[in-house]
Amino acid sequence: MPDRFLRINAYTSLNMADAELQCAEGTAETYGIVNITAARDTPKSVNLQLEIDNTELETVAPHADIFSLSPEEARTLAMDLNKYADRVEAVSE
Amino acid sequence: MPTDVERWKSEVYGDDIRTHLFEFAESGFDTIPDDERDAWFERFKWWGLYHQRNGQEGYFMMRIGTPNGVLKPGQLQVIGEIADEYARGPGVNPIFGASYADFTTRQSIQLHWIELSDVPAVFEKLEANGLSTQQACGDSWRNIVGNPVAGKDAQEVIDAWPVIEELNKTFKGNDDHANLPRKWKVSVTGSVDGSGQGDINDLAFEPAYKTRDGAEVVGFNIRVGGGLSRNEPRLARDIDVWVEPDNVSTVAGGLSALFRDYGDRDDRYNARMKFLVDEWGTEKLRSTLQSEYIDFELETAGRDVRRSYSYNTGEGPRNDLVGVFPQKDGKYFVGLNVLVGRMGAADIKQLAELADTHASGEVRLSQRQNIILTDVPESELDALLNAELLTHYSPTPSPFMRGSVACTGTEFCSLSIVETKNRQVRFARWLKANVTIPDGLEEFHIHLSGCTASCAQPQIADVSLRGMKTRKNGEPVEALDIGLGGGLGSDPQFARWVGQRVPVDEVPGAIANLIDTYAIERVEDESFRTFIQRHTDEELAAKIEPAETTYEDPMMHNTKRTWYPYAENDALDAGPEAPADD
Repeated sequence: MPDRFLRINAYTSLNMADAELQCAEGTAETYGIVNITAARDTPKSVNLQLEIDNTELETVAPHADIFSLSPEEARTLAMDLNKYADRVEAVSE
Repeated sequence: MPTDVERWKSEVYGDDIRTHLFEFAESGFDTIPDDERDAWFERFKWWGLYHQRNGQEGYFMMRIGTPNGVLKPGQLQVIGEIADEYARGPGVNPIFGASYADFTTRQSIQLHWIELSDVPAVFEKLEANGLSTQQACGDSWRNIVGNPVAGKDAQEVIDAWPVIEELNKTFKGNDDHANLPRKWKVSVTGSVDGSGQGDINDLAFEPAYKTRDGAEVVGFNIRVGGGLSRNEPRLARDIDVWVEPDNVSTVAGGLSALFRDYGDRDDRYNARMKFLVDEWGTEKLRSTLQSEYIDFELETAGRDVRRSYSYNTGEGPRNDLVGVFPQKDGKYFVGLNVLVGRMGAADIKQLAELADTHASGEVRLSQRQNIILTDVPESELDALLNAELLTHYSPTPSPFMRGSVACTGTEFCSLSIVETKNRQVRFARWLKANVTIPDGLEEFHIHLSGCTASCAQPQIADVSLRGMKTRKNGEPVEALDIGLGGGLGSDPQFARWVGQRVPVDEVPGAIANLIDTYAIERVEDESFRTFIQRHTDEELAAKIEPAETTYEDPMMHNTKRTWYPYAENDALDAGPEAPADD
């Protein structure tokens, strides 16, 4: 298998997020990396980076997904993350 | 638009940083304005200082660049004295004690817990003894590496040490080359064993022959654009140039200037020379070097000696330089294993005395984090080898002890996500005690890096370990990705990553199982690396069988979230105040 695509260090947002990979071949529960970043200098967008660990699903080649978000899109995402975090917390409390 | 780092560098960089560094040392760490800390910490690197990780406010790692790993007589004693006096802080390491030095994979020395207020005194002592931290880090010529026994080695075809000294003299403190787009790592090797590891450097000079007037003369072939970092390892590429020793400095300067002028200063992640070589290709690189930077006709590459490379290849003699070897002058050099490259200050001073008593006092550092005593007369060999200290720093260690390389890890580093050095010590000790070594297996390289920065060079080991996280029994624990089959030599290869998120306490079991499988399934006396090469990734993944064993790991928890992993109260908010500027 190839090396991981994303850099992983102490600045990575989440280096162990529960993940489920879905594809035509089936689904697989695994871990993944979620990272939010922006270029260190003169950033043009917020980068949302996702990489799910390699699985035994042969039709899915190892890869990473990179989303380039505008500040507005990033804030929309943050608002939704907060909103649903509140909902989950409310149920678990 | 220049990057922040480029902007900071354009304001103050190079030698000029020293004045500011000394002013802050005088006025105190707290006088560095909060909004200028990133800029000053970036600049301090040029003088070999890295601010330590979160929770260790005001303490610095200091790197001393020793060209080619050469420590002249007396210098090791100085390192021991400085470590003893200054490399002490609020954290005490349970294995290595309160004061120690690390020998690095680039033949340098690192000290920890250095206070800013002590920097002038440390510099004064270093410089009075011919040592320096200049350009040990930062965007410039880093410590030049090579075969550590250059000038002594009975196997060398050309003495690279004068060339390295010339390069060091020319490009340290040289304003024209002080501010490059990124770090610039150079290797110069004159031996046939490949121990300069040129393939993983930005610029490599490797021994090669040219025919002149019917006779062969020795010089260097040039490779450019190697490096391991950023999940994008590259082997240095042949640019079809041979230089005679007297022209090395000129051509090296041309390539350094080319990198200075054409390297990417807009994106630091794309700035290393390897990416410029990717973009241009070797032909354009060579033609640009010729047309814009060199005013004599470059010669084409000569006959190299790569087929004889043995260092870090996974098999054969001189896979490392640990052991007793003949020098060209009839004396011997004795390579000692320093487990994970770390040595306590008292041991350093004791070893310096041994070097004085039994040899010339000179020692050398290898890229496998080990130390070599040179110039040992045959009459002193037995006395040296019988010294009690050499039971700890052995010339005949277990394959698991001599093969262990580890980066700094969460103990001090801002990037790492797992504990490394002490863990690698525990791994090596457990493997030594519990694994039956297959016949003929004398060396087994395990490299542990705490993140993808690759400071332990994990991609070029038999077993590559890299920091990760996983969950075990519902709890998050430190884990390692596992790669196999990396190594240098005439056919260098990077490890293939075949295991992910193995809990750290199951890694020794996984390695033990793998070695047992190798012992059973290998064909005749094939090396571990050859055994790995003939299997597919899927087959190898199946051979990694993580297992709980008698190995226990006291650092399973998230050491990244501590101020110091070994503190009694290790909570991030329990860390010390920045040291007073006394």
